[in-house]
Parts: sequence; structure tokens; C-alpha cells
Amino acid sequence: MATNKIKVDALVVGGGISGMQTALDLADQGYQVALVEKEASIGGKMIALSKVFPTLDCCSCITTPKMSAVAHQENITLLTYCEVDHIKQNGKGFIVGATNKPRYVDMDLCTGCRQCEYVCPVDLKNPFDNNLGAIRAIRVPFSTAVPQKVVLDIDNCILCGKCQTACAVDAIDFTQQPEEIMIETDSILLATGFEVTPKDAKKEYGNGKLLNVIDGLDMERLLAPTGPYGHVLRPSDGKEPDSIAYVQCAGSRDETLGVEYCSRVCCMYAIKQAMLLSGALPLADITIYYMDIRAFGKGYEQFYQNAKAMGIQFIKGKVAKIKEDENQNPVFRVEMVDEGGSVVEHTHDLAVLSVGMLPSFDPTPIFNVPNDTDGFIMTPDQNFSASLTMIPGIFAAGAATGPMDIVDSIMTAGSAASAASAYIKSQQNGKEESSSKIADLQKESQHA
Amino acid sequence: MPEKKDLQKDNEDIRIGVYTCYCGGNISDIVDCEKVRELTETLPNVVVSRTDMSMCSDAGQAMIEEDIRKHGVNRVVIGACAPSLHEQTFRGAVARAGLNPFLYYHVGIREQDSWVHHGNHEAATEKAIVLMNSGLAKARLLKPLKPIKLTAQKHALVIGGGVAGLRSAWDIANQDIKVTLVEKSPFLGGRMAQLETVFPTNKPARDSLHELIEKVIDHPSITIHTQAEVKSMSGYIGDFNIKIEQISRGVSSELADQEAVIDSCPVEVSDEFNYGLKTRKAIYQAYPGNFPSTLAIDWENCTLCGKCEKVNSSGIDLKKKSEIIDVNVGAVVVATGFKPYEPRQGEYGYGDFKEVITLPQMIRLLALNGKDKALMFKGRTVRNIGLIHCVGSRHVPGIHEPQEDGKVNDYCSRVCCTATLHMTNDIRQHYPDVNMYDVYEDIRTYGRNHEEYYKQASENLVRFVRFQAAEGPQVFASENGNDQPLVIKTKDYLTAGLDIEIPVDLVVLSVGFMPNPIEELTKILKINPGNDRFLQEVHPKLRPVETAVSGIILAGTAQGPMNIQESVTAASAAASKVSVLLGQGQVELEPFVADVDHDKCNGSGECVQVCPYEDAISLEEVTINGKVCKRAVVIPANCVGCGSCVSACPNRAIDIQGWTLGQYESMVDAIAEGMLALEVSA
Repeated sequence: MATNKIKVDALVVGGGISGMQTALDLADQGYQVALVEKEASIGGKMIALSKVFPTLDCCSCITTPKMSAVAHQENITLLTYCEVDHIKQNGKGFIVGATNKPRYVDMDLCTGCRQCEYVCPVDLKNPFDNNLGAIRAIRVPFSTAVPQKVVLDIDNCILCGKCQTACAVDAIDFTQQPEEIMIETDSILLATGFEVTPKDAKKEYGNGKLLNVIDGLDMERLLAPTGPYGHVLRPSDGKEPDSIAYVQCAGSRDETLGVEYCSRVCCMYAIKQAMLLSGALPLADITIYYMDIRAFGKGYEQFYQNAKAMGIQFIKGKVAKIKEDENQNPVFRVEMVDEGGSVVEHTHDLAVLSVGMLPSFDPTPIFNVPNDTDGFIMTPDQNFSASLTMIPGIFAAGAATGPMDIVDSIMTAGSAASAASAYIKSQQNGKEESSSKIADLQKESQHA
Repeated sequence: MPEKKDLQKDNEDIRIGVYTCYCGGNISDIVDCEKVRELTETLPNVVVSRTDMSMCSDAGQAMIEEDIRKHGVNRVVIGACAPSLHEQTFRGAVARAGLNPFLYYHVGIREQDSWVHHGNHEAATEKAIVLMNSGLAKARLLKPLKPIKLTAQKHALVIGGGVAGLRSAWDIANQDIKVTLVEKSPFLGGRMAQLETVFPTNKPARDSLHELIEKVIDHPSITIHTQAEVKSMSGYIGDFNIKIEQISRGVSSELADQEAVIDSCPVEVSDEFNYGLKTRKAIYQAYPGNFPSTLAIDWENCTLCGKCEKVNSSGIDLKKKSEIIDVNVGAVVVATGFKPYEPRQGEYGYGDFKEVITLPQMIRLLALNGKDKALMFKGRTVRNIGLIHCVGSRHVPGIHEPQEDGKVNDYCSRVCCTATLHMTNDIRQHYPDVNMYDVYEDIRTYGRNHEEYYKQASENLVRFVRFQAAEGPQVFASENGNDQPLVIKTKDYLTAGLDIEIPVDLVVLSVGFMPNPIEELTKILKINPGNDRFLQEVHPKLRPVETAVSGIILAGTAQGPMNIQESVTAASAAASKVSVLLGQGQVELEPFVADVDHDKCNGSGECVQVCPYEDAISLEEVTINGKVCKRAVVIPANCVGCGSCVSACPNRAIDIQGWTLGQYESMVDAIAEGMLALEVSA
């Protein structure tokens, strides 16, 4: 295996919005940064969203320029389709071993012309569309991907060779091997993001088996202009739904799932989607079943009040059960808290589970960074240095440290960059202050 | 018109690329972007006309770059969102392709068209075409420009000595940038010093705060001025000249017998540290152990009676002095914080009944009461407490009265839910027999480990009562001489909307956040509050800590309600931004400044008279064809490109670079022609 070596001041793990912002904030200060992303493109969860609350900006308009800035910032070495395997303490810094996974495409030659993609005969479910649309076995991951290079899904490739014939620059290489990269760095920033509650988590909501019960991310893709159908259609019969209902806290604040925390974004994304749906389907009735509406951020409460004024119906009540009628319409059993607590059944055309946020990546085996009881990365000094982990020199940003929305993720990215740059400076100036402070904190938190 | 002549000369060389963005549907759902493309394609000088789902994406930018490199495009017109969003993005792309970035013009067809003309596709498309046409007219006259490069002072001013200001100062100083921190009051620590413990760590608030203050005080790159206020500002990013007024403390740091001095003062005023629950003297400390530890004289309330001087003449100087300190900084961090909402007279009985207090007061009451005895308030034992949420927050027009300034506090204050529940857990721990009733609308314990407080409160038998905004709770005096002086009446939507009455000894109002009154400062800094009166960031996601004035950065609750963790995080993010701006020791300004044609200028000086800025334009002696004469000269760094001089010049000798009169005229002509063409075709 060929080994490349690079030396940087900071290694950022994760190319979603938090990782990109952290990398940009460090690189813009003049630090050398390596950004490692396991997927074939940066952009994370955010790039797949439709519009973002509370400004209703199109999500691409906010994300793609940042992706582009990362690609063009000279101080950033971008490593996509790459995963960290092991790290070793190196004085106060680290030596990180990472593997560039084979794309089966020569990155230097590929022009992103997509001719290979057009001739590929294999149609697969498109993970970028939450499996709602289709994609080829060789493809640019999505239209605004960075880098604009194709990647071949070797597990599903039938090795027909059509892509090789179509490629004008001879970039396709079925023999490509994993490549090892050694990254010497003074600091590491974990921006490994989140996953959402699996659709089959709750048997009360049909265990993921009811066709017309989708989740919030599915709806994001249905609403996105780059989405699979260009319309909001329900899965069972492709019909435009006239009545759409949201189930809040479907995976959060739920002890039966071991998730006691609030996922913080679901109220707002449900309200936002409801607003977008009233634009896309002006005649549809939209109902949000909730426990508490948590519209806490800047401009969020006003957004919620606007939604109410637009006629979106908010019903206080935890949905107990969803079943299906003979037309595959979801039927909700719900206690109407505001109406005397009567238990009623409401039939809708489409149900959307406002699924919560779960940790996506366990950093403990590789980075030796412990998690807290909620499964997210432990940050011992939550109030004063929320980006410090238990390991000096390793910092965390964004949803890797607990559920948060985009605005808050971007703030934590700036703050993590600030903490990391102070650490890098103190290492490079030979000062000990910063690391001894971390050691104190760790002692403190172990006592607590 | 000379510009037209220039145009003729350059005409054959101008090759325009036109790009119309779908903006992910934001534009293309309303405007027929393909029609815009088709029509612009046929116009003079246009070499290519293209559309894209999102032009600002890497692929979209690459397309523009390729057209410049391979198709010789030398003027770029992009129809997309507002230039404030992505003009910089596209300038970068144009520059990467080797073209001067100012040979690109941005037409806003989202904010100025598709977003405001819903439901009228045809008219919106026509408008887009007209706007693009006028953009093209300007593009034909664009000239290459160079940004103004200036040396940046590696020195930042932080306004506010609360936790956000302190943290910003410390983080900035750790990037080898000097910091001057000013605090209006005599003591550091801000609102956080008034808390006892903080969620979600439950650590003592002042311990952590003092640790930070000590670090800031000890940092060699940080200078602190308490009792100091910003009085004026001039200059621009990288080079702001700021005058700070420093008021004398009146007390020497050597003063020994502090207690005797305090005791000697005959003045008693409301103690703001304890939110009026106690009084303090006019020579005072905020709290024992505050920073700086030296006493201060409250000049507003001191009667200059001289009694303190009699106790200690050497350490006290009752002559109030003011000194102006000049600092030259590259950036300013505004961390002016918040104040708790002050309920109106009679709002939930506040001011009418002495037993109605606010959450911050309750926190101080618990601290003053001590933990090992019964909870007392105004001589009575407190057994039943009613807590009312959303006081001064989440107000709905038509239901709640507007504030004095006519605005309705329609925002959520974010912190009060968890802060209230955090306090109920404290109360339960120390006063196990107290009954608590929590009257709320929605419980918003959103943060990491916050839900825990809600759960704990339920386990602690805090009784929750849920109201709806239109039928909020009301507080009355007890009618039948109950043991409890007050009664809260409300509909409870957790029990089928029943009307319930809760007799209580004390009502605690969970008041929201209001920004500190900083109108004067916002005028000096030329920054703006948003609708909620908190300071407004440029964009919550793209530029979350920057204001519309380059180099003026926001930190903490001046921007909106935040808890300690969020304030500190925001403060660090602000520090990162300052470090990005000043770290390289150089800043760039846009070249859209006045430019004088010395052949046409006759030195009338009318431009100098109308210029509203200092040192932006002046009459200087210059030599033209061997003759010394007076001509207007612009200092680009001080010019904001407002155009006042352009309109005043009798000789049409001044133009704003990048926005010349000739360019404006061509744009207006193009719009007029476009409108005419539409009328004819209709």
C-alpha cells in the first residue's frame, strides 16, 4: 500500500456544516488544515435539506458556497472518501493514519462529465434521496457534490465495462487499491455529526413497515428542488396527499427508546416543512401533533406564530399509535390534551415522523475520546469550553456533541476553531498553559 | 457623453457571460429562467447565456470559470439572490479564472423579483429580463478595479465586561492580538455574577467566572477599563479610532478599612446586584469578592457629604474626574449583554403586590436567605410558590400589550424554562416542604442535559399547569383571608381546560431577556438592532457574528437571548472572526469610492462642503501642466462611496468607482427601453 504523508496544524474529521466551518475558520487564520470526510462529497446532512429555518433560504444557497470555499481555500487539504483508522500520540500532537477508500476512478483524470454515469446500466436506490429516487452504480454523488468526481459503488457494479468505454479520459480503474495517508497534526477536531432515529425504532408507529409513514429527512428530499420526484407524493400510490400530519418527539424525549433528551431541531423542521408544504400543496391540511413546541432560537417563535397564522394546525397530544386503513392511510390514535383528554382516531394521507438526532460515530475506539451517557462526545466543561473533549488536543464541534441546529452548529464550529487555534499556538510557542488547563478540567470532571 | 464614446471604442472587445440561477427553485418556481436565458443570449456582446440549479455551487462556479478561460468571457452578469449573499462568492470565482473580480455585476432577481411577485409568473419573468438587461448595460461599462488594501491594527476593543466580553477578550488575546476591554460599571462579571449555580453543570457560577476574570486580568495583552464608555468612533475596519471616557473610581486600590468606610456612608440606594431586594451605600462593592476588589463611588447617588473621607482621607477622592483614552483598533466586539425584562405595573400583579417578584430576584432571594433555615420573604414564611413562564416573552399582538416603544416582545427568551426548573430543583433540595406550581405554555428544555431538569422537577412534585396565550394566568389578592396572600387563576389545559385557583405565598415571574439600552452606542458604531431590538447579525448561518459594519462583531446576549454556554460559545466564535480579520495584519476594502477627474475639476470645493465624513475629500494643491492649482483629492480609506460629492460637483468631475453616473444612466435607459418594449408587445 502506497503511503502519503502530510503535516498540518489541525485535522478536522467530518465534512458537514460544522466540519467545513471549523476548517474554514482555522484556515482563514492561516493554519494548515486537513479535512477528512468518509463520504465521496463534503456537505454532510445539510446539503440534502430543502430550505432552512427561520430564514427559508434554500439550503444549497448556504451550503454550496461553503463547500466551494473549502475546496478553494489553499490552506485546506480535502480528503474525501477517506476514513481515520488509528491515531498515535506524538508529543503534544498526533500522528493519524487514514485510508483513502478506492473510488475506482482516477481523481486527477476524472472531469466529472458524467458520461460513465449515463451509460451505467445499474439502477440503485439513491442514498442522497433517502432511498426515494434512483442512482447509478457509478455516479457523481449528487449534483452539487464537491469534489465533482464520480465514484463507483463496487458492491453493486456488474463489471460490464460500459463506463470504461464511455470515459474519454480513461479515468476508470477497477484495480484501484486503498491508499494509506499519514497525517501529522497538532490538533484534531471531531465534527462527526449525527444520524436520525431509524424509522423502525417504534413499533407503535408501524415499525417502519407502513408505506405512508415517512420521516423528516424523507420529506426534506420530497420538498427539495433537487428531490427525486419534483413533487410531494406519498409513497404507497404516488398520490398528492391532502392531509399531512407530523408526529413530534418520534424518537426524542422517549425513555422507551433510551433517548431522554430533546433533539432540539424537530419542532422547527416540522414547522418549516409545514410552511413549505402549504406552498407546494396549497389545499392540503397540515397538522402537527406535539408535546411542547420548542421554538427557542432567534426568530423561531415568530416563525412558529407565522405558521399558526397560515392555518397550520397544532394539536397538543402524544401520538400513541399509528395503524393503516384499507387505503393505506395512516390512522392516528391520539389523546387530545387540549380538548379534555379525549382519545380519538384521526385519518391522514401521509404521516411524517419528526425523528430525533442520535450520535452517528463512536470516537472512542479510534480517538480514545469517551462519550457521555447520551452517547454524544463527552465535553467536560460544557459552560466554559464546550468544545474540549477528555483528550488534550482533541476538540469537538456541532452535533457530535449533542443535537443542535445549523445556526448553533456554526457557532460551536467558530468556538472550537478558537479553542484549537489557542492550543496549536501554545504547542508551537512551547507554552503549556492550554494543555494544563485541560488536565485540570479533566481531573475536575472525574471528581464530579 | 464620454462614456458612450469609450463604449464604442471598446465595443468589439466586450464579451459578456450571462448566468441565470434557479436558486434551487427560489427563482425558477416563479421566473421562467430558461426564457431569461434565451432572450439574453441574443443581446449585443453576449457570448454565452446559461442557467443552473444553483450557480453558487462549485459546479456552477466552475462553469463560469471555464467560460472565462475557454470562451474569452470578460464581463460576467449573474442573476441570482441578493448581492449581499453571494457577491463575494462569485467575485472569488471570477478572480480564480484570471479576470478582474470587478468586471462582474450581480443582478438580484430573487429578493427583488421572485420573492415579491408570487403568483405572477409572466410579469416576474418580464421583470427579470428587464433587470438582467440593465445589468448587461452596466456590464458593458465596467472597468477593472483594485480593492483598497490597508494595514490592520492587531488590536481589538471589547465592549462589555460580562462573561461574553471576558471570554472574547481572552480568546482574542491568545491569538497574539492586543485587547482593550471596557466595562461601563465599576465591576467585572456582568449578569453571571448574580447567579449562584449554572445549568447544566450545577457548578457555582462565580467560581468559574472568577477563574476567567483572573486569567483576563493576568493576561499581558489585555488592558481593562472599568467605569469606561465608548464616546466616539471614526475610521474603518483595521483602523478604528475610538475615544473612551474613563470616569474616576474615587477610591484607591490601597484603601484598607473598607467596611468602616462603607458603614460611614449615609446614603442608601437600591442594590442592583440583588435586584432591589436590599439596599447598598453610595460607596460600595457589588458583592464580596468582586473584581476589581477596590470599592467604587456611585457618582449618581453620592451626595459628596465627605463622611467616608473622614474615615479614610488618603484612599478616597471625591472629585469625580473624567479622562479620554484614545485607542486605535482593528476590530470591535460588542458584548453589551442583556437586562431582565421588567414587568409593567400590574402585570401579573407585579408592583401591586409585594409578593410578586421576578426570577432573577428569586435567585438572589434564595442566596440571601441562606440554606439551612425556612424560606422567608418580607417576614413571612414561604410555603407555596407559583411560577409563571413567558413573562415578557412570546407575546402575541392583540393579546399582549406592546412595550413602551410600541413593539411586542414576540420572541422566546430561550433561557427562562431551564433556569426556572433549575431553580425549582434547588428549592426542593433546600426547602423540602415548599409547594411549587409551574404555570407554563410550553416547556422548552432543549439543551444538552436540560431535559433532566424537567424530569427532576416532575419527580420533585412541582405541579405543572399549562395555559394558552389567549387565556393567560392572572394574579389576585386572596379574597377570603387565606393563609396565602395571593391566588393565581388560570385555565389548565393539562386537566381538560378546568378553571383552577392556586393560593400562593409568592409569585415568581420567569421574565425574559431585553437588550441593554445601548441606543447611543449603536449610533456611534452605526450598527442596527433587529425587530426584536437585539443587535442584528448579517446572516444567521453565513455570517452569524458579523454586523453590517465590517470589523464590528457581536458576542453573547447583545445579539439575542442565550444561556451561559451559548454566550461563551458565541464569544469564542466572535474571537475566531476577529482573529480571521486581523490575524494577517491586513484588510481589504471594496474600491467603490469617489474618484476625481482632475481635468474637469476646477477646485470649487463644493464636494468638500457636502461630504459628511471626516478626511474623505479635501482641496489640495496639485500640479497640472506645470501649473499649481487646487483640486479635490479623495482619501479612499475614509470614503464610503455615498455619492454626496458626485451630486454636488458642478462640473461632473466626480464619479463613484464601479457606480459611475454613466453606468447608472445606461442602466436606467435599459430599464426604460425594456418597459417600452413590453408595452409595445402588449
